[in-house]
Amino acid sequence: MQRDQLVYKNRNRVRPDGKAKVTGSLKYLTDLSFPNMLYGKILRSAYPHAKILSININDAEKLPGVKAVITHKDIPGLNGFGIISPDQPVLCEDRVRYVGDAIAAVAAETIEIAEKALQLIKVEYEQLPILDDPEIALEPHAPQLHENGNLLHQAGYQKGDVDEGFVRSLVVIEETYQVPRQMHTYMETEGGVIVPEANGALSVYVGTQHGYKDRFQLSRILGKPEEDIRIISSPMGGSFGGKDELNIQPYGAILALKTACPVKIHQTRKESVISGLKRHPMRITMKTGVDKDGKILAHKVDILADTGAYSTLGPAILDFAVEHATGPYMVPNVKTEGLSVFTNNGVAGEFRGFGGNQITFALEGQIDRLAEKLNIDSIELRRRNIRKVDDVGPLGHRIAPTNGASDVLEAISNHMKIKRNELNNLNLDKFKVRGIGTAITMHGGGLGQGRLDPAGGRLSLNKDGKIEIAFGFEEAGQGILGVIETIVTEELGCSTDDLSIIIGDTALVPSSGSTTASRGTSMVWHAVKRMKDVFERKLLDQASKHTGISVNELQLSSGGVSKLANDKSFSLVMSYLELAEHMNKSKQSSIVTTNFDFPTTPDDVDGGHFLYTFGSVLAQVEIDLLTGKVKVIDLDQSISAGPIVSMKGYTGQIEGGGVMALGYTLMEEALMVEGKYITENLDAYLIPSISDVPFAMMTEAIESLHDGDPYGPRGVGEIGTVAVAPAIAKAIHDAIGYWVSRLPVSSEEILQAASHRRMKQWAKVEQ
Amino acid sequence: MGESRAVTVNQPTEDKTIDITVVINGKEQHLQTEPTKRLVDILRNDLDLTGTKISCGIGRCGACSVMINGNLINSCLVMAYQVDQASITTIEGIVREEGLDPIQTAFLEEGGFQCGYCTPGMVMAVKSLLADTPNPTEEQIKTALSGNLCRCTGYGGIIRAVQRVIEEGTYL
Repeated sequence: MQRDQLVYKNRNRVRPDGKAKVTGSLKYLTDLSFPNMLYGKILRSAYPHAKILSININDAEKLPGVKAVITHKDIPGLNGFGIISPDQPVLCEDRVRYVGDAIAAVAAETIEIAEKALQLIKVEYEQLPILDDPEIALEPHAPQLHENGNLLHQAGYQKGDVDEGFVRSLVVIEETYQVPRQMHTYMETEGGVIVPEANGALSVYVGTQHGYKDRFQLSRILGKPEEDIRIISSPMGGSFGGKDELNIQPYGAILALKTACPVKIHQTRKESVISGLKRHPMRITMKTGVDKDGKILAHKVDILADTGAYSTLGPAILDFAVEHATGPYMVPNVKTEGLSVFTNNGVAGEFRGFGGNQITFALEGQIDRLAEKLNIDSIELRRRNIRKVDDVGPLGHRIAPTNGASDVLEAISNHMKIKRNELNNLNLDKFKVRGIGTAITMHGGGLGQGRLDPAGGRLSLNKDGKIEIAFGFEEAGQGILGVIETIVTEELGCSTDDLSIIIGDTALVPSSGSTTASRGTSMVWHAVKRMKDVFERKLLDQASKHTGISVNELQLSSGGVSKLANDKSFSLVMSYLELAEHMNKSKQSSIVTTNFDFPTTPDDVDGGHFLYTFGSVLAQVEIDLLTGKVKVIDLDQSISAGPIVSMKGYTGQIEGGGVMALGYTLMEEALMVEGKYITENLDAYLIPSISDVPFAMMTEAIESLHDGDPYGPRGVGEIGTVAVAPAIAKAIHDAIGYWVSRLPVSSEEILQAASHRRMKQWAKVEQ
Repeated sequence: MGESRAVTVNQPTEDKTIDITVVINGKEQHLQTEPTKRLVDILRNDLDLTGTKISCGIGRCGACSVMINGNLINSCLVMAYQVDQASITTIEGIVREEGLDPIQTAFLEEGGFQCGYCTPGMVMAVKSLLADTPNPTEEQIKTALSGNLCRCTGYGGIIRAVQRVIEEGTYL
């Protein structure tokens, strides 16, 4: 394959959903209203851990305007959900395990009546001891939260002999890193409308990242065939992994079926905080040894993840963290052990980065500390250990050959020289100090070996003469619509006016797997590549039959089928509408479908990825020595993820991901005390505002792939979030000589460290 | 309130409504509403002006930003009785006859949005800024937009969009 074939001419185009977004005319699913619509509210648990002794809904049911009150008794099918293991009750019967557990739900004529009704539901509890820390939950006499105990998942990887490696090491660093519970903070909270249809069918207008999976889960809960459930799951006002799991859908569905009315539920921010998923808090202890030349000889990793009350994707996230524990470095002796533990804290699950962010903060922290001890430049230390094109992946498995790791490292090394020079020539306020840090990472795309990871698509010429491309993906803001538009128009040669894109509706689209794991762009590209030739052939054959022109002289083009002249100009011979009418009359189908799986490693390594993206980050910080506040001056990234499909989409993912990770590093923590959220809204849970970010950020794209790479563009949905925290941590160290090991970085800690260092310096001068 | 002291707490107050007159996007509207109803709910639920979004509900995110008598205000913090006789502009009211407002065009072409949920409020905030300060400094841009949170873009595309409108000078 020629690399230049992969450069999309129109990759600067404006995305198709843009106009409706900037004018406010786009209807999100939480903006919808239907005739006779009721409003739903969900009663969540008053305690993080308790037995339910009784639930009395009599008074609530009697309140005028209340149309239905449901409890566990009203669930027709399975009282449980969870993408992998359905261990989270839809409505709790006898026990609650966290403050987000649902006990009852109400449908009423107004939101106010529904809220009032919730207050009238009487639940008697008997409080149980709260397990608010995974270490406490693992103690031998701790109450068991689930049938199989409090250990959700154990994962590990071992290679060589770490003990022997440490013996041979010149320098060994051991550190424990603590990372917080981060909230997705999608601006549109969970919600939508569930509409009962004829014959017991149901239309679910609620955002999700995998419509077909929601349909499967709801089918199980409602005891209804999947075919009777239609999921309209797009567009969404953000998701970042947080809406992949079911949220309000089951309550809306049961209430809609019971009342025979459409039911709208749109969670308030506080309801969203309490019930929504978060990023896993982790405690990661790493011990890493190097020889005198800086070659890493041994790396021992222990991960303790707080998964909260239920499973959702907790096991897969731990597996991902274990896989990425050595990152892009070749280490001969590795021992990684991870535990994901149930607690009575908020449920942790899928979140952009998927365990990679936590482990990368620790890993890069180790490299930087080792470099300091060895008195070697930290980029040079990375260079000495970095993977080469044909090296195996981090679990010893074969991966698609790539030079991405070195490419991003050298890119950031060059950028560092420029920035360091700028900084050296800068005059600063005497109470401000600056520092620069870099970090790198590699990040697997797709779900990994041994996981069901199907993709697919459908291409057809519809009766209106539009080339219809359909995928089971959702638009959460990432720009999948723009990606589809660019790839299809450029691969087929048609124009955007010829195109009809259909996504996010199980009644209309084929199954394409989940809109997760940075897989959307990659899967669209693969699907179109697979369908393109057959589809073209079908259309051109029919156009040839109709016009009498040889197929070889015809091609798809803007507006219809064109004839290619000798001088390479072409003229339209048949519009797509004419072709559609012709094919319709002659009963010729134009439909082409494809089904395939995300590319995986040929080696039988559970969860091992095959296609990786690489990223490097440069952060410059300014520390206020009077307040300890850390301000990010520069946040620049170099990314290796193959060719760019959508320029604004790509830049937006990296900048947006970077700033989300800036929040993770310096500001954000969904703080819980004894199983209850302290940060219940955006006044206490702070995400970056425009004042917290660099006014200009650099995104450098390294688009080249290894020679002959047949896998096309890789996704960049996550990579921009992964290596930001360690780069900022290194920049802080560069500024004040202090290593942070706990996120978010506390101003108090920085102030103390900075003051201490200045006192020492002052003392030094006196000698 | 003197006479109503005997009213029990549980007695519904829903039927106590007031009549207000507001000009919304240039159109006069007479509304009968509970006096404490939030403006954001009136806009979204009663008038189907769903371009104004709701996210935090406590005035910290700016998704519900509208202009009231020319001032940028979070409509989740304003009650019905407070807007009687006021003139309100929502995102639906800023499209010009000849097409998009230059701010909207700049957002489109510079990638000033992704999921789009903060966008209406952000566009209103930029409009408010440029109406008062057509050639703002970096600090002025930051101050003016710091009440509008965006979780997708990292603000890069938004900053580029604002800079472009300033460069084009359409608000000068």
